[in-house]
Amino acid sequence: MKFRWKKEVPYLLFLFPAFIAYTALIMWPLLQAFGLPFTDWKGYTMEGLNYVGLKNYIKILGDKEMVYAIKNTIIYAVFNPMLVTVLAVPLAVILNSKMKTKNFQRAAFFFPSVPSALILGYLWSYIMSPLDYGVLNRFVTALGFEPILWLAHPKVALLSVILVSVWNVLGWHACIYIAQLQGIPEDLFEAARIDGATAMQMFFRITLPLLRPAMATSVMLLLINALKIFDLPFALTGGGPGYSTTMLSQVIIQRGFVDKMYGRSMAAAILFCIFVVAVTVIQRKAARED
Amino acid sequence: MRSLWKKVRCIIGEATMLLICCIFLLPFYYLVVNTFKNQQEASSAPMALPATVSFENYIKAFDSMDFFRSFGNSLLITAVSVTVIVLFGAMAAYPIARRKHKVYKGILLYFLLGYMVPAQTIMVPLYLTLQKMHLLNNIWGLVVIYSSWCNFSLFLYQGFFGSVPEELEESARIDGCGPWKSFWLITFPLLQPVTATIVIFEVMWIWNDFLYPYLFLSSNKSFTLVMQVYKGVGQFSNDWGMMMATMVIVLIPVLVFYLFMQKNIVAGITSGSVKG
Repeated sequence: MKFRWKKEVPYLLFLFPAFIAYTALIMWPLLQAFGLPFTDWKGYTMEGLNYVGLKNYIKILGDKEMVYAIKNTIIYAVFNPMLVTVLAVPLAVILNSKMKTKNFQRAAFFFPSVPSALILGYLWSYIMSPLDYGVLNRFVTALGFEPILWLAHPKVALLSVILVSVWNVLGWHACIYIAQLQGIPEDLFEAARIDGATAMQMFFRITLPLLRPAMATSVMLLLINALKIFDLPFALTGGGPGYSTTMLSQVIIQRGFVDKMYGRSMAAAILFCIFVVAVTVIQRKAARED
Repeated sequence: MRSLWKKVRCIIGEATMLLICCIFLLPFYYLVVNTFKNQQEASSAPMALPATVSFENYIKAFDSMDFFRSFGNSLLITAVSVTVIVLFGAMAAYPIARRKHKVYKGILLYFLLGYMVPAQTIMVPLYLTLQKMHLLNNIWGLVVIYSSWCNFSLFLYQGFFGSVPEELEESARIDGCGPWKSFWLITFPLLQPVTATIVIFEVMWIWNDFLYPYLFLSSNKSFTLVMQVYKGVGQFSNDWGMMMATMVIVLIPVLVFYLFMQKNIVAGITSGSVKG
């Protein structure tokens, strides 16, 4: 097909603003982010750059904080989506039943998804505090257990971050499932009931298989957001104690904006990008084959 | 007998769910209730209702945060960015969805390329670009950055164009209406359901965003509301009564938005995520 400029120019003008904004502020920086880690660029001038090969990549992979961050981010990106999915599906089924207060309940479960994760992180840092106002430990001791260092114990802190994150997004993902549940025709369940199926059988044989598309969407969102996580651990623990809750985003920011090691920061950012894109592609493929 | 048992079971089930709801919302109760207490009372009985209601924390918080300025910054950044994202995205989706030439397919692919790129990847080069444009520590710098993420809205619009009948545009063309006029007068109003979804998602993202303001804003006069909470925690970490009051103040606009838009948010999640 021949491209007839005269006819197409008015249409190309429609593309122009988005094209410029996207090119200048996403694609051009992306190109720089790919190229600059191979040089000894110090953040000032682009002239007289020397090629340094994979030095920045080797340095960042030998960086202790980076190694911890990779481990923490993977643990987080496995357990956050898993726990949210395991809880959100039954929650959605319950919230989709005929209860008088179901609208209130949906609103209540959804509410933690609305405010900024930064604020929720600070709020939970008060709740999980070892000091007097840390109500969670009051509750734990009232039940007869020893107080737990929710945010200060290196082995518990990551678990605490995961718990808060589940509370944060559970309602949102239950909402995705409710949307799909509403599309399942009632007579499917009616027929199963007549055939003598129990509630459990109906859940595993009808509801769960029909929720597949919603699950693909929800898990993909959870995975991507889990890999990118920044605000919540930043507010809750600041990455500590030690490096026990440091996430990849935080290392990129720390190296780039605090330590001014631009080369290493961007090398980490590129590894991070490849990781995110790979996970997205694999997850999409897996969801499609299902 | 059997139906009575069923009814009882229903009531118990619903009561249990309501109890779980309340536990789920306890953190917010804790947050609000402690803003009315002094430090000593909050330490000794954090979950109790305040013995006497004191607004001292709110007065202190309000004085220290320059609320109206930050609220204005948040509002301006969000309103302008979302408008730009909607307009740029809808406009760019129009030729991609309507023109048959393969050039447009290539352009769509080009926009897809950056779709999966996380914001964190381009932070450092973006910082330098903003520096060159003299837009650091400037709310317009943030507007420019948020607006560049118009590819998300582009895809949502492009997917929706299929369900907007082309005949209307066709007949407008016969009546002598150019593409520019026919887009704004006929097509764009018909895109309204997607526009609503995009506005809600983008408002929630931009209003709540911490990453970009944290990296690119450095002085109190350009801070957004979320940044005021960050600043407050750094400055008044010991006075947590006041900190909690700051958080409540910052949460109020979000709460109002939620109460008014709840139905639309849920509709947006339904249409935006399940189909996409």
